[in-house]
Amino acid sequence: MALKTPEEFVRSLADLHLQIYLFGEKIDDYVNHPLIRPSINCIATTYELAALPEYEDLMLATSHLTGKKVNRFAHIHQSTEDLSKKVKMQRLLGQKTGSCFQRCVGMDAINALYSVTWELDQARGTDYHERFKKYVQYLQDEDLVADGAMTDPKGDRSLPPHKQPEPDVYVHVVEKRDDGIVVRGAKAHQTGACNSHEIIVMPTVAMREGDEDFAVSFSCPANAEGVYYIYGRQSCDTRKFEDSDLDVGNVRYGGQEALMVFDDVFVPWERVYMCGEIEFSGALVERFAGFHRQSYGGCKVGVGDVLIGAAALAAEYNGAARASHIKDKLIEMTHLNETLFSCGLACSYEGVRMPAGNYQIDLLLANVCKQNVTRFPYEIARLAEDIAGGLMVTMPSAQDLADEKIGPIVEKFLVGTCDAPTIDRMRVLRLIENLTIGAGAVGYRTESMHGAGSPQAQRIMIARQSNLDHKKELAKAIAQVGKPWDKARVKEPTAVAR
Amino acid sequence: MKVVYCGGCNPQIDREALAAGLPVDDPAVPEGSTVHLSGCPRACASGHRLVVEEGEQAGAGAGGASAGQDGPPVVVVAGELVDGVQTPSPELAQTVTRKLKE
Repeated sequence: MALKTPEEFVRSLADLHLQIYLFGEKIDDYVNHPLIRPSINCIATTYELAALPEYEDLMLATSHLTGKKVNRFAHIHQSTEDLSKKVKMQRLLGQKTGSCFQRCVGMDAINALYSVTWELDQARGTDYHERFKKYVQYLQDEDLVADGAMTDPKGDRSLPPHKQPEPDVYVHVVEKRDDGIVVRGAKAHQTGACNSHEIIVMPTVAMREGDEDFAVSFSCPANAEGVYYIYGRQSCDTRKFEDSDLDVGNVRYGGQEALMVFDDVFVPWERVYMCGEIEFSGALVERFAGFHRQSYGGCKVGVGDVLIGAAALAAEYNGAARASHIKDKLIEMTHLNETLFSCGLACSYEGVRMPAGNYQIDLLLANVCKQNVTRFPYEIARLAEDIAGGLMVTMPSAQDLADEKIGPIVEKFLVGTCDAPTIDRMRVLRLIENLTIGAGAVGYRTESMHGAGSPQAQRIMIARQSNLDHKKELAKAIAQVGKPWDKARVKEPTAVAR
Repeated sequence: MKVVYCGGCNPQIDREALAAGLPVDDPAVPEGSTVHLSGCPRACASGHRLVVEEGEQAGAGAGGASAGQDGPPVVVVAGELVDGVQTPSPELAQTVTRKLKE
């Protein structure tokens, strides 16, 4: 099958008839729902750009399974060049949408599972890898969106999965049959789940003895019987009901998260990629998190580009663009943003080919990348708010601007530089509001903090790989630790280090 | 037997000690065998590969070696990984030796 067009993607999503609940109601026409449609537009953009020759180099890749051109989101990385192109593609899409475009989790899931299933088979004599390769080819051939679902609700964090008073807070196997397994539980904060054709489930933590039923990985159609979604709220989300292209800030695009529930879902064996092999759950978590932490060095940078541009425009409209402190703040924002990009690229260029044949990023540098992402977007946002000024949060509404009596007054008093229309100044300030404290801040700020693992998760990984003993040896050698000290030489005026 | 080193910028293992423990003059090791010895999992000595496949050229210039079906063995050490398999530091030399003699 050929690559899908954006229109074909939207139609295929509608045809799934997903079970989506929002504000206590089941939403049947979700592809046209004002709260949901902007997030669908984001994924549609991943199809749209893939069809344009000027973006093909980043958006498409050659499948190692079929030799055909496939969307990079369904590709298994075959080189460090593939890894770096992934980051560049993510930056591009962040620039085009000013939002989380949601398709990365599936790409990161298939790349993590690819090597883990191979290693699992080597150790256990299973055939998970062959099953999984067939599944990847299906995703590629049909040009499908897959959601990589890892985060369980987790309940009491002090208890392992099998000791939870409510076992369903971790997805687990409740029945094994000759033809497959039955699973129950939920995955939380699922970015793009309601925009996906397929769901790929992975365990959320390294499992221990007793957790065998929770060490489960599988895929299922997003509309499988027993799967339903409870749509998550976002800051300022009901502005999307106001039918205004001004107050939302980013009217065309937006992110999406949902609580995804598995209510006794049957999964045939050919869609199961781990079932009880607790010793491989940790590697899967680590590799998925590593790929996803690399992703943030691309996607958030692209959104950062939009925010920096908006701040620069706000400065121009305010007539402050030539002030030295404004210029310096824009330089600082750029410096922070490009530092994130550098980390995303660095962990790509230092990637290695796994025994399974695919390429994996450098885990230490990917964790450093994401640790910076938990901080720098906040500082970039702070500087954008500084440059924008207080009007960003005190500005009258689109209805006021449109009002026959009040509108001209708003226009008169909100004018900036004479050559910029007031409406443009308002649009840019609303965009900055969207990204810093509005619906877009879900993706740009809090997702930067907690997505792909909260800061402490990265610090644990950094600590594990910091190679501190080597550093101590370097310091000892330079400081000459352990060398006998001859006090008498201190008195010799000609004594020099040898 | 040839040992190809990485540059050694951030070694997680003692490369020199490991090399000293390898069976350099052991007649049981096929002539032309190669060990790509990287200090960390970035595997620079083997061109960022954790395993060198059959018929594949790994490493740069004179350090390169290719694995062949009937050719001499090629083993990749990258930190505590031997051909991609986690191996504790004290067991590295023994594991590499076993693979060279297989």
